[in-house]
Formats: sequence, structure tokens, C-alpha cells
Amino acid sequence: MGRTIIGIYDNEDYLISALKKMKEENIEVHEVYTPYPVHEVFKLLKRKTRIPLAAFTFALIGLGFSYSYLYYTSVISYPLIYGGKPLHSIPSFIVIAFVSMISLSVLLSFIFFLIRTRLYPGKRPTIIEARGTDDAFVVVIDHNEGMSTDEEDRIQSVLKKSKAVEVKVKEI
Amino acid sequence: MYDINVRGPLVEGNKTIHQVTEEISRPMESTVRAWWYVALVISLGALGFGTWALYMTVTEGIGTWGLNNSVPWGWAIINFVWWIGIGHAGTAFSIFLLVLRQNWRTSINRAAEAMTVAAVMCAGLFPLFHVGRIWVFFYIVGYPNTRGPLWVNWNSPLFWDYVAICTYLMSSVIFWYLGMLPDFATIRDRSTSKVRKAIYGFFSFGWTGSSKDWLRYETLSKVLAGLIAALVVSVHSIVAMDFATSILPGWHTTIFPPYFVVGAILSGFAMVLTLMIIIRKIYKFENYVTDSHLNAICRILVFISLIMGTAYSTEIFITWYSGNEYEMFTFFHNRITGEYNRAFWIMIFSNAIIPQLFWFKKIRKNLVIVFIISILINVGMWFERYVIVITSLSKDMLPANWANYSPSIVEIGLYAGTIGFFIMSILLFFRFIPMMSIHEIKSVLKYSKIENATK
Repeated sequence: MGRTIIGIYDNEDYLISALKKMKEENIEVHEVYTPYPVHEVFKLLKRKTRIPLAAFTFALIGLGFSYSYLYYTSVISYPLIYGGKPLHSIPSFIVIAFVSMISLSVLLSFIFFLIRTRLYPGKRPTIIEARGTDDAFVVVIDHNEGMSTDEEDRIQSVLKKSKAVEVKVKEI
Repeated sequence: MYDINVRGPLVEGNKTIHQVTEEISRPMESTVRAWWYVALVISLGALGFGTWALYMTVTEGIGTWGLNNSVPWGWAIINFVWWIGIGHAGTAFSIFLLVLRQNWRTSINRAAEAMTVAAVMCAGLFPLFHVGRIWVFFYIVGYPNTRGPLWVNWNSPLFWDYVAICTYLMSSVIFWYLGMLPDFATIRDRSTSKVRKAIYGFFSFGWTGSSKDWLRYETLSKVLAGLIAALVVSVHSIVAMDFATSILPGWHTTIFPPYFVVGAILSGFAMVLTLMIIIRKIYKFENYVTDSHLNAICRILVFISLIMGTAYSTEIFITWYSGNEYEMFTFFHNRITGEYNRAFWIMIFSNAIIPQLFWFKKIRKNLVIVFIISILINVGMWFERYVIVITSLSKDMLPANWANYSPSIVEIGLYAGTIGFFIMSILLFFRFIPMMSIHEIKSVLKYSKIENATK
């Protein structure tokens, strides 16, 4: 990623007011690392996710797949009547299809989540600030190629003024 | 919104964020105490007994059980339903409270979910064992085979049950694991030992806590919660249909699905209560699992227990109202009175009457009594399944078919084995996994400081 300017806050409220301030000052925030989800941050950084849509799609696929599987096996592949029940027994099929729908949707959504977040077992992440998973709220600002020293100082002073406990420049 | 002035702080003791990390990871980082090893040895002993019983079942067959032609479902099914009931409420607890945005779930949900996973594993073993020839269990998987292909009987509730339990186990594990990703990352980043760092690093999937990841994480947990909430209700309804779709007196009732779901929640909440009192006491988490948490669970139990009482009385009323002589016999001569009446009255007392003591604030505050009642409820719920399974099967419509049932040592062994497995899993959970969701507790800390409350 190159050179970055990092501001560390120790309080959710300071972080939010700092992000608002940076928005006013037109400073582009690359990423914010927090120990727990902060909803204001999502709003300020305009983060969006399509996971609900994906989950819904997976559910539809799961429902369609399992119902057609049931229909194929009992009506087309081996039509066997037992207990005088119809081959296409809708009430039973609904129960199984409903549960398989949930099953597939849960599994596929989780896999989708892992793919989107690029998380996988044993991944070694770039940890910008180890305290970020403990009690620090970390703001990371990209240091552009052509950024002047004045600009850098301005960003740093904005961070400091907004009550950052620590401001540093780091190569990542 | 959570109003601290009305409902009191969620976490007591004015903790800082760092303190939360420290205190919750402490049990995993400090040395293991003697009681843990003692408990582990006892649970492994029970597991050993269960392994012997399983060996007997596999090598000699179901003949080693106390079953007979009239009572082909004995302890195996009772224990299956009992465990699945306990396993239900863990996730139900965590998920319903998440869907309802109840912030007080934060310090309890992890333990409840862990308990669920362990209990559902125990439950899943019984259908496997009770077929006798365990090695042909895979016949229940509907796959293209060389026998026709002859598919599975999709109309059988037993098959629905199999699908439901597999789904439930998988979903609970995924939901539980998802919640642990950020906490594993916390432990990874704070540990100084290389081995710990590597192990927790592996399991944390490289979590960093960036805003993108958090948004996806939160959205996914809500989506999963919504899906699993529907599953919780449907799984136990399906378990109930194992019984309700038959024509046996005492089983053939439409009240069974809701009655089973509520029963499952009662036993699961009671187990959550038992577990949280133990955790709080042993690990001194009084600031996290506060009196008001336990108080809230007790109040929910009063309500659920009332529903159970209503269900029991509805069953009996409908029996009388229907005028069906077989139903009348089952309820009035075989349950309320008769050979199995002790089990029936234990069920009524522990599930419908004793939890009513929680109406009194003094009793809700006395943790010894709360602990005893929470265990009694689970005993009562076991007897509920005993009453349902055994009384109906042992005396059906034809007196020539009547036969009594008592379990053999092998069946008792299987039950003891699953209890051993459950306790062992909980002990390992105490040791290696943060017992409370660290990041979720941090997110409710702002509801814990009086000076922030007015904002």
C-alpha cells in the first residue's frame, strides 16, 4: 500500500467527530479499524454490502434446487407409490424444501462472506496496529505519491486536533 | 434503544475497553486449576462408559437394550429429544434476542451457542445408535445409488428430522464460529507466545477489524439470525411430528409442534441459566453476567413455564372433551394415575409449578435456589419425554400388546456417555475459547457508564 498516515483514537465518540471533521476538510480516509462494529463509521465511509441480496438469492436457488430434486426423484426417476400417497406429495416436499433452503442459504452466504472479505483459515493479515483488535480505533489515510509536506502536516494536525492519542506515518 | 437509567448498566464496574479484553481472555491465559482436571477426568469416565455401551450396541445389537415389540423407542429417543431440546434454546436464546435487538444477550450468547453445538452433537448420536447397524446409516442420504436408484421415503417425518438436525447442527456451528472470528483475532494480537499466536491466527481467518469487514460481518450475522430463527421453530416442530403423525393415543395431537418448541426453549433456557451461574461463580464474571441478566432469564422462564402449564392442561382438557376412550385411558389411567404417574407428576411439578416461584423477587435473587430450579427444570423436561414416549407405547389400543419397559445398563451407559461428552465439550470451551463475546461486550460498554447515558 505504501506510505500511510495513521491516527489512533481511544474513544468511539472522538473517532466519529474526527471522521466528520476529515470529511469537512476533504481528507480521504482509506480505512478504519475498530475493536467492534461502529455504525456511524459505515455511514461516514459510505460502506455498503450486498450480503442480504446474496443470501436471498441463495435461498431461492436452494428452494428451487431442493424442490426439483424431490420432484425428480419421486415422480420421474423412480415413481413408487407407498401408503397410497401421491407421488408428488406437496406437504412433505414443502417441509424438506424449506429446511434445505435454509441450509443452503446459510452455507452459501457464509462462503460468500469469506470470499468477499478475503478471509480464509491460516491467512496472515497485515496488522497495521495490534491494538486495533483490543481498544484502539485506527484511522488509516493513504499518503498519495504527489502529496506535499504541507498537505501531510495539515492531515496530521487535523488528526491531532481531533484528540487522536497517537499520530504516525508508517510504510505498509 | 437501551435506556440505562431504567434498566441499569449491562456491564458493571465502569470497565474500559482494554479491561474487557484482559478479563475475558484471562481464563484462557492463566494456568489451569485442579477442579478443571478433576471434572475432565469424571467426564471422560462417563464418556468411557458410553463408549463401552456403544461397543455393546454395535457388536451385540439393539437386543442389549430394554426394548420390546411394544416399546421399540426407549431411552434413545427420550434422550434424543431431550438433548435436541437443550440444544434448541442456546441458539434460540442468542438469535431471538439478536433479532429483537436485546443488548443484554451480549455476555451470554457465546456460552449459549457453545452449549447448543455440544448438545446437538449429543442429540444427533441417538438416531445414529438406535438404528443398530450404524454402518448402514448412510442409506438415509438421498443419493443416486445402485439399488434402483431407490430414493429415500420423503414422506417420513423421520427423514425430515434427519434433514432438520443436520441443517441445525451446521447452521449453529457456522453462526457460532462467525461470532468467534473477531475474538480469535483479539487473542492473536495480544498473545506473546508464538504457538498461541499461530493457532489463534489460523482460526481467526486473518481478521483485522476493518470497517468493510465489520459491516459484512454484522449484516451476515443478522441474516443468519433471521434464517436460523425460522429453523429453530421448524426443527423442533419436525421432531414433534415424529410423534404427532402417528395414530397412537397421546401422540396424535396437533398441539405437539408448538408444545415441543416451547418445551425445548424451557429446557434450553434452564440449561443456559445453569451454565451462566457456574461460569459467573467460577470465573468471577459477576460484572458481566450481572444479577439483572439472571433476573431477566428467570422472568422469561416464568412465562415459558406458564405456556407449558397451559399446554399440559390443554392436552388433558381436550382428551376429556373429545370423549375418545383410548385417549381417556392414556391420560387418566396411564399418566395421571397408573404405573407411570410418578414421571407424570415430576413433569408437572418441575416444568409448570416450581418455575412459578420465580414470580418472587427474593427467589430470583437467591442464586442457590435459582440454580437448583434450573436443574430441576431439565430433570422435568427429561421426564416429559419419558411420559410421552413410554406411556403411550407401553399401553396402546390392544391390551394384548401391553408391555412394560425399563432401560438396560447399555442404554443408561449411552446416556451417561453423552452427558460426559457434553461436560467435556463445555470444559474445553472454558479453556480454549473466550466464554463471552469480547467484541459484543465492548460494543455495549457505552450503555454501562452513567455519564454517557443521557446522550
